[in-house]
Amino acid sequence: MIKERTKEKLISIGLVSPTVLAIGIFVYGFIGWTIKLSFSDWNTFAKLLKGKFKFVGLSNYIKLLFQDPRFPSDLWNTLFFTILFLLGCVTLGIILALLLDRGLKGSIIFQNIYLFPMAVAFVVTGTAWRWIFAPGISAYPQGINLLFSKLGLDALRWRWFVSIEHIGPFNLALIPVVIAATWQLSGYTMAMCLAGLRGIPSQLIEAAQVDGASGWQVFWGVKFPLLRPIILSAMIILGHISLKIFDLVFSMTGSGPNLAVDVPALYMFETTFERLRYARGAAIAIIMLIMVSFIIIPYLISSMKREAKK
Amino acid sequence: MAEVRLKDVNKTFGKVVAVKDFNLDIGDGEFIILVGPSGCGKTTTLRSIAGLEEVTAGEIYIGDRLVNDVPPKNRDIAMVFQNYALYPHMNVYKNMSFGLRLRKVPRPEIDKIVRRTADLLGIGELLDRKPKELSGGQRQRVALGRAIVRDPHVFLFDEPLSNLDAKLRITMRAELLDLHQRLKTTAIYVTHDQLEAMTMGDRIVVMNEGLIQQVDTPQKVYDHPINRYVAGFIGSPSMNFLPCTIVKGNGDLYAACKSYKLRIPQDKTKSLRDYIGKEAILGIRPEHIDTKDTITRKYDPESVFQASVWVIEPLGSEKLVHIKSEERILVARLDPHVDLKPGQMAEFIVKTDFIHIFDKETEKTIF
Repeated sequence: MIKERTKEKLISIGLVSPTVLAIGIFVYGFIGWTIKLSFSDWNTFAKLLKGKFKFVGLSNYIKLLFQDPRFPSDLWNTLFFTILFLLGCVTLGIILALLLDRGLKGSIIFQNIYLFPMAVAFVVTGTAWRWIFAPGISAYPQGINLLFSKLGLDALRWRWFVSIEHIGPFNLALIPVVIAATWQLSGYTMAMCLAGLRGIPSQLIEAAQVDGASGWQVFWGVKFPLLRPIILSAMIILGHISLKIFDLVFSMTGSGPNLAVDVPALYMFETTFERLRYARGAAIAIIMLIMVSFIIIPYLISSMKREAKK
Repeated sequence: MAEVRLKDVNKTFGKVVAVKDFNLDIGDGEFIILVGPSGCGKTTTLRSIAGLEEVTAGEIYIGDRLVNDVPPKNRDIAMVFQNYALYPHMNVYKNMSFGLRLRKVPRPEIDKIVRRTADLLGIGELLDRKPKELSGGQRQRVALGRAIVRDPHVFLFDEPLSNLDAKLRITMRAELLDLHQRLKTTAIYVTHDQLEAMTMGDRIVVMNEGLIQQVDTPQKVYDHPINRYVAGFIGSPSMNFLPCTIVKGNGDLYAACKSYKLRIPQDKTKSLRDYIGKEAILGIRPEHIDTKDTITRKYDPESVFQASVWVIEPLGSEKLVHIKSEERILVARLDPHVDLKPGQMAEFIVKTDFIHIFDKETEKTIF
């Protein structure tokens, strides 16, 4: 009996250990390495080649956060991008899910249409939407501007992602990027919400109807509260994507005019691999990691607690 | 409180007919029970009254108002569902007050009503709990409370006790009856349990395959079932049915089975005149079979027959004895102290005053 159990234990350890080892080295090991790097002065290729580690404390972080004009503006951009993107995905996702949940003919087709953009790589989305939002010049409009001008709606023509307009720290050029990202991922919130809606027992809805609730009141009184945990997980998944966003912005706009659509990931890429300031790049990466942890860790803790309860 | 009237109500789902030509007048304050096997259309009828299903044809009135096109929220009804359908994200208090809050009843009044009702139902201590922290019986009470606070014109119950264990079901049955006696609100109650129907209803509506079979008081339905279906459905254990032929002899009529014949009581022979020489179905309720040793009343000596005991179910208060007669199993409800053993041959007696005869073709009751 005991032998059998030890055997089973050995097998399970054997099966799990390669993954644990790989994650240990390539995720946590490298995170550790990046943290160490961010405290060093390896900000030129020559210094890196020498390989001598010189500890400079928080100097890289202080420079980024307090002396560099670009990084704080990146953080603002990330903040606005995240808020608008989450708002867009959640609202659109819920609306689409509610429409599809009515079970009308052909809703399965639309369900797939809305979900499909998720299957596309961010790079592809970025490229496609770059063409759509390319403003052209005033005599030769392109993309959606061309459509507007053909329709006689010249008033709607706009510079899109090359616009330098801003309201306070909010750069309007972010809007087309938010639209592209929302287009790609609102299908995900739709799928989550649809699954959630289908999981609500019909008798609950009927009970509310008999209790005197209108369609709107059924939604706010019963459906929405029951969807809340699902919406929260969707927001966490989307939120961490949004904080780390790189490929979409990179392929669509780059940093934009006056860094209007610059985000930390772009800055990190440029700092590390184009300007070869490895330590500074590592510091940006660590700040991003901390931002994402603020979202992910509470979520992981709460979901582990929920699992434990079960 | 209100009357409910259903006029020629029909409901079809595609090609499936769920309810057919349903006509029923439910009096103000009446407790009426729709009973039948699953798929007989009882729940569909109830849901149509609630407005959760649109009827295909016919009219439904609550009070004097035609409600066919009135959405559920405006019908002023309250419904208790089989699985209680409590809102899982709300505590008991909020569950009970949901309908009142939607109606914009002032807060202090809501508070008063909810607390009073909760006390009435014995759930006053549970107001802060979420549904998942409650037992089945407590959930049932909350669901009832949610319906009661609304003070609706009509209560609709959709098998509300079927998820409870047997003991609790009996308690709740009595409590529901007590509540109805106090509130006097019209109640329509759906169940597949004929015992619930018998014990709770002012009148019961027996349904089968979308059609009303019989509407009457429980005792009348039991004593005078309108057809073989109702006779078999109401009563537990169910009525024994035997094929027989109506024959004449010595100025009397007999229901003749293979090896014995039962004399038809004089007052009932009239209705059998057209059946002489024809086949019919004999119906005997289990309590109308007795043994020769235990019978206390006068009996017709011709109604004695021999049969072997097959299985005995002692229930404490009585014994259900399954006996084999003419290759058929009959169930007899006997005195618990009757001395019988499986395999034993014994003499049984039918109390012929209570037998029923059904037409073989139409299965309608002759008497």
